[in-house]
Amino acid sequence: MFKVNFNEHQCCDGVSRRQALRVGATGLLGGISLPHVLQLEASAAGVTPPKAKACIFIMLEGGPSHIDMWDLKPNAPLEIRGPFRPISTKVPGTQIGNILPHCSKITDKFTIMRSHSHRDNAHQTGRHWVLTGYPPSFSDGQAKGMPFNELYPSLGSIVSRELGQGGAVPPYVEMPNPLGPGGPGFSGAQHAPFTIETDPVQPDFQVRDLNLPADIGDRRFQLRRKLLAGAERLGTQERQTGRAKTMSSYYEKALELVTSPAAKKAFRIQDESDKIRERYGLTSIGQCALLGRRLVEAGCRFVGIDHGSWDTHVDNFTSHEKALVPPTDQAFSALINDLDDRGMLDETLVVMMGEMGRTPKINADAGRDHWSQCQTVIFAGGGVKRGAVIGASDRTASFPTTTPYGIQDLLRTIFHLMGIDADKTYHTPLGRPVPIVNGGAVIQELLA
Amino acid sequence: MRNFFVNQYLFFIAAMACASNGVVADSHLQVIPASVRLDRPEGMQQLLVMKGGTATGLDVSRRCKFETTEPQIVEVDGHGRVIPKRDGNASIVVHCDDEVVHVPVVVVGLGAPAPVSFRREVLPILTKSGCSSGGCHGKAEGQNGFRLSIFGFDAVADHNALVKEARGRRVSTAAPKQSLLLKKATGMTPHGGGAKIELASPWYRRIERWIAEGTQLDDEASQGVVAIEVYPERVQMAPNGEQQLLVTAIGSDGTRRCVTVEAEFDSNAKEIANADRDGKIRVSNNPGEAAILVRYLGHVGICRVTIPQDLATFQRPEENNFIDRAVWNKLEQLGIQPSQVSDDATFLRRVYLDTIGSLPAPDEVRRFMADLSPDKRARVIDELLKRPEYADFWAMKWADILRVDKAIVKPQGAVAMTRWLRDQFHDNTPYDQFARKIVTAEGNTLAEGPASFYEVHKDPEMLGRSVSQIFLGVRIECAQCHHHPFERWGQADYYAFAGFFTGVQRNKAASGGRKIYSRGGVNLKHPQTGVELLPVGLGAKEVTLDGVEDRRDVLSQWMTSPENPFFARMIVNRIWSHYFGRGLVEPIDDLRATNPATNEPLLEALADHLIAKRYDLKAFTRSVLNTNAYQLESVPNFSNEMDSQNFSHAAWKPMPAEVLLDAICQATGVPEQFNGWPEGYRAIQIWDNRMPSYFFRVFGRPQRVSVCECERGNEPSIAQALHLMNSPESVRKIRHRDGLAARLAASESSSAQIIEEIYLATLCRQPTSAEQALMQQAFQEPGVTRREASEDILWTLLNTREFVYNH
Repeated sequence: MFKVNFNEHQCCDGVSRRQALRVGATGLLGGISLPHVLQLEASAAGVTPPKAKACIFIMLEGGPSHIDMWDLKPNAPLEIRGPFRPISTKVPGTQIGNILPHCSKITDKFTIMRSHSHRDNAHQTGRHWVLTGYPPSFSDGQAKGMPFNELYPSLGSIVSRELGQGGAVPPYVEMPNPLGPGGPGFSGAQHAPFTIETDPVQPDFQVRDLNLPADIGDRRFQLRRKLLAGAERLGTQERQTGRAKTMSSYYEKALELVTSPAAKKAFRIQDESDKIRERYGLTSIGQCALLGRRLVEAGCRFVGIDHGSWDTHVDNFTSHEKALVPPTDQAFSALINDLDDRGMLDETLVVMMGEMGRTPKINADAGRDHWSQCQTVIFAGGGVKRGAVIGASDRTASFPTTTPYGIQDLLRTIFHLMGIDADKTYHTPLGRPVPIVNGGAVIQELLA
Repeated sequence: MRNFFVNQYLFFIAAMACASNGVVADSHLQVIPASVRLDRPEGMQQLLVMKGGTATGLDVSRRCKFETTEPQIVEVDGHGRVIPKRDGNASIVVHCDDEVVHVPVVVVGLGAPAPVSFRREVLPILTKSGCSSGGCHGKAEGQNGFRLSIFGFDAVADHNALVKEARGRRVSTAAPKQSLLLKKATGMTPHGGGAKIELASPWYRRIERWIAEGTQLDDEASQGVVAIEVYPERVQMAPNGEQQLLVTAIGSDGTRRCVTVEAEFDSNAKEIANADRDGKIRVSNNPGEAAILVRYLGHVGICRVTIPQDLATFQRPEENNFIDRAVWNKLEQLGIQPSQVSDDATFLRRVYLDTIGSLPAPDEVRRFMADLSPDKRARVIDELLKRPEYADFWAMKWADILRVDKAIVKPQGAVAMTRWLRDQFHDNTPYDQFARKIVTAEGNTLAEGPASFYEVHKDPEMLGRSVSQIFLGVRIECAQCHHHPFERWGQADYYAFAGFFTGVQRNKAASGGRKIYSRGGVNLKHPQTGVELLPVGLGAKEVTLDGVEDRRDVLSQWMTSPENPFFARMIVNRIWSHYFGRGLVEPIDDLRATNPATNEPLLEALADHLIAKRYDLKAFTRSVLNTNAYQLESVPNFSNEMDSQNFSHAAWKPMPAEVLLDAICQATGVPEQFNGWPEGYRAIQIWDNRMPSYFFRVFGRPQRVSVCECERGNEPSIAQALHLMNSPESVRKIRHRDGLAARLAASESSSAQIIEEIYLATLCRQPTSAEQALMQQAFQEPGVTRREASEDILWTLLNTREFVYNH
C-alpha cells in the first residue's frame, strides 16, 4: 500500500499542511523588515569571526530513515536492516545507502553525523524542539495557528535578528511552505520569515506580491513611482522628524526593496538554464534548493526548505526508494556541487535533517515508526569538515555509541559558524531572559 | 563603624534641601562622602565630586585628579574609588579646576576583619557578575549542572550549591585559590561563561577569604540589608552629561557600606539616559526624563534624571482643561515648546481613526470644514463617542486584551464574549463595574457574558497573573519563581493573590460549554516555606474571608475601590496610550515605583478625574480628546523634534491591521469579503481571531496568546509594503468596476475634481495646488485612459505613509 502524497504533506497526525492552511491557520509568516534601527547591544563574548555568511536548512519533514540512508547496518537481522545495502563512496571507508547514488559521489564534500539524539518523538513538538531549541508549550497535534512557535524564536528568526539584511532580498526566507515552528516568536513580525508559498517547481512560479500586475507596463509603473515620490514630498515627508522620520525611512527602504531589480532577479528562477534546473531536478526540493542558492547569492542569510512527507509508517522502503530519496539525493548533491563550483560552499552552511529518525525495527506494515533517539544529520560547507563521518550508532542504529549530540549542540554550532553569540540573552516582552541557546556545546569535531 | 557616614549624610540632606529650593548651594567643589572609613580588606568607597550644588548636578569627577597622601594605607583610582591597603589614617586629595578638597580616610581592622558575610558580600558578586542571571546558572535548570537561584534570592540554596553539591568540589577550604568556583570565575579553568572576576581583584579576594574562613552561611537576621540609598535620588543633567551614582547599603544593625560596584543598574528610557556597570549615568542630547533603576540584594531604588534643554521663551499654549495644564507644565520645565494645534482636516482624520477606527467619509470632511462654529471639534467628539463603531472598536481591543481566542473558547464563546464587550462599550458601563463583571464572572461560557474569561485562564495562578497585569498593571508573573527583580513583590504576594481564584469551578454544562462559578477555595502555599497564604490584594492588608462565598468578591472590591493604587492609573494609562501613541508609563501595563510616569502629576490627575467621573469612560475620553494636547499637529518644531515622551507633538501611529484594512476598503469603495462572513462586515467586527487572512498576518493582527497589548506588531515590514503595492487584493480594490476610481472616471467630474475626491477619500483632506499639479500628470500621460489615471492616483495615495499611518 503505497501512500505518499507529495502535494499534501500528509503526516500521521492526519492533518495535511495545506489543509491546515485552508482550515484555520493564521500568521503563516509575518513580514520581513530591515534590521532594527535600535539594534540591541550585542555582547561581544564568545563571538568568533563568521565562517558561514548564510545557511540553507533542509527540513525533511516527517523524519527520514537514517538506517536506510546514511547509517546502514548490513549485519543486523533482516527485520532491522531492510532491503537496502551499503555502497562505497568517494571517501574510502565511508559507506551510505545504495538509494543515494548521487551523494555517494560527493561524500568528500560533506560530513555525516550519525549521533544526533533527542527525546521528543512527535512531529509538531519535535519540530518545535529542533527549530527553536526549546520544548513547546503544547502537546503534539495541539499546536494552534501557524507558525506554531508562539514564544520562542526560530533558528531562522534569530539569524535574521542577529545578522540582519545581507542584500536586496529578505534575510530569512521559507519555501515552499512554512516550516511550522519557523516563526519569530517574541522577536516580533520584523523577524518573521518571508514565505514563498508557491512552489518554484511550478512553471508559472511567481513570488507573492513581488511582481506588478501584468497590464501595468513599465511606463505606467514609472509614472506611479514618480507620483508617489512627489506625493510623499509634497505631503508629510518634509514634516516628519524624530520617530516618524525613522519609521518612514524604514518604510521607504522597504519600498525600495520592492522595486529593487536585484530582489526580483534573485527570485526569478526561470533565469537559470534548463540544464542547471534539470541538474537539481524538476522537483519541489530540487527547485527550492536552486532558488535557495540564488537567494544566498543575493544576500539572504537563512533559507528554510520544507520538504515532506517522510513519515513512512507504511511501506517505508518503497516510499524512500521510489519517492522520497531520489529527488533529495539529486537536489542535495546538485546544490553542494553548484555551491562548490561557484566558490560559495565555504561560506554557505548547508544542514539537512528531519525532526527525528525512524525505528530500526520494521513494523507490520513494512514501515518504520518515529525514533528520535538516533538520527543522522548532514552538514556541508560554511566551516564544516569535508568528507568526514562523525559519531556512530550501535549495531541496530538505535542509540549513539559515541557522545550523543543534542539539538542545543547543533544550534550552538550553527550560530558559532555564523558568527552569532549563542550566549546572548533575549528578553521576552515581560522581561524574562531567554538565552539564544539554552546550554549545549559547539561540536568541535565537526569544525574544519 | 556605626556612625562613620553621619557627617556625610547630614551633608546629603543639606544639599538636597538646597536643591529642592532651586538655590545653588555652593559653587565650590564638594566631595561626597566628606570622610571615609573602611574596615575590610576588600572594601571600596566611591567618591563623588560635585560642583555648583546638586540641583544642576554637575558631576565633575571626570575633570578631577585624585591623590592619596599615604599610598601604603589607602589607594585611589582615576574614577575616585578608594581602596584600603593597611590600617591607619590618610587623606584623599581631590584637585579640580584650581580647587583642592581633602577627604580624611580611616582604615581600621584590616588585620582581623569581621568574617565575610555570604548573604551580603558573596551573593551580590555572583549576581552582578551574571553568574545567577536567567541566561546562565540562574535558569530553572541551571547551567552544566551548577544551579544558582535567580538574582540570588535564595541564599540557603545557593550556599548549598556552592558548598555541598557536586561532592563539595566547588570550594576547597584547604586551598581556597584552587576552588573550582574561583578557577571557573577567573577563566583559569575553561568556563562557558568566560572570565567573570579578575584574579586578585577585591571580589576575588573576598570570595577567597570567605572560603578560607570556612564557607560560612551567616544568619539571616543579623546580617540582612534593610534598605539601599541611592545618591543622588534626583538629578538634573546637561545634554551629553555624566553623573556617577553612589549606592549605600544599610544593614539591619545600622551599618552603612558603599555597594556601588556591586549594585546593578538599568534605565527605563535608554534613549534618554543609561547607566553603565559602575553606576555612571550618561545622558543623550534628547531632552526628557529617565529613571535609573538600582538593584542590590532584592532592594530597589531609583535616581530620576531630568535633562532640560535651553529654550529662550516658552510660549504657553491655551489650556482647555487640567490635562493641558499638566502637559504644558512639564514641557515648560523641560524647555520644550509644543507644536501648533492641528488644522481641522488633520484633527478630523485622527479623531475618527482613534475613536471609531475608521476614516471620515469625504462628505463628513466637507461638512466639518464648512462648519464655522467654534465648538465643532467638541461636537464631533460627542458624535463619535455615540457611534456604534466606537463600541466595535473597543470591543475588539478588549477582546485582544482578554484573549478571546476562538480556538479555546469555541466560536460560540468568542461570539458571546465579543457581543457582551460591545454592549458594555455601547452602554458605557462604568469601568469599575466592567472590571468587576469580568473578575467575578459566572454562568455559561457560551452565553453572552464574560464567563469565557475563565475558559481561557484556567488555573488560579494564570488568573492571578492576568488579572494583575490587565487591571492593575502589575506584572506579578515574575514573582512566580523568584522575587520580582524591579519591585517589592515576592512569591508570597504572588501566591496570596492567586488564592482569590481557588474557588473557581468549571462544570460541564448539559447545553454545552462550561458553567463558571466560585465557591469556597483553598489558601495556596508558599512554594519554599510551605506556609499557607491568605488571599490578599497586592500590597494590601489581609482581610477575613469568614462568611465569604465567592473570594473573588473580596478581590474585586479591593481592586475597584478608589483607594486602590493601581486600578485607575492602569486604565487611564491604557486609554492615554491609545490616543497619544505612547503611555505615560511604558510598557503600559508595567506600573511600578521604579518605572515612573514621564508626567507623574498628569497621571495622578487623570486617575483622580476618572474616579471623580465615577469611571465613566466616555466622559473621561471626552476630557482627553478636547485638549489642545491631543489636538496638536504631528509636525514638530525645532525645540521638540527629539521629544518622544512628553507629548509635545502628535505621534505617528501605525494603524491596527483591522483598521487599516477597513480604511483601504473605505477609501477604494470596495468592501472586503471575509471568508464565510456575510458581506458588509468590517474588519474591526470580526470576532474570529483565527480567520485565515494574509492581510492580517502581515500587518500583525494579534493571535490573542497573551494579555499584553505589545502582541500587536508595530514594525513596518517588506511584506506589508509588497502587499499594499502589488497584491492581487489591492489591485482588485483599486480597479474594481464599482470602486472609487471607476465611479469617478465614469462621472462628469473634471480631472481636478477627481483628484480632489481621491485625496478626500484617502488622506481626508483637500489637495494643495502643488499636489493638484502633480497628479494632473496622470491624466496627461499619453495612452493612459481617464480610468487608468484615476487608478494610478488612487494607488499612489494608498501607498503614501500619510495614508498608512494615523498622525
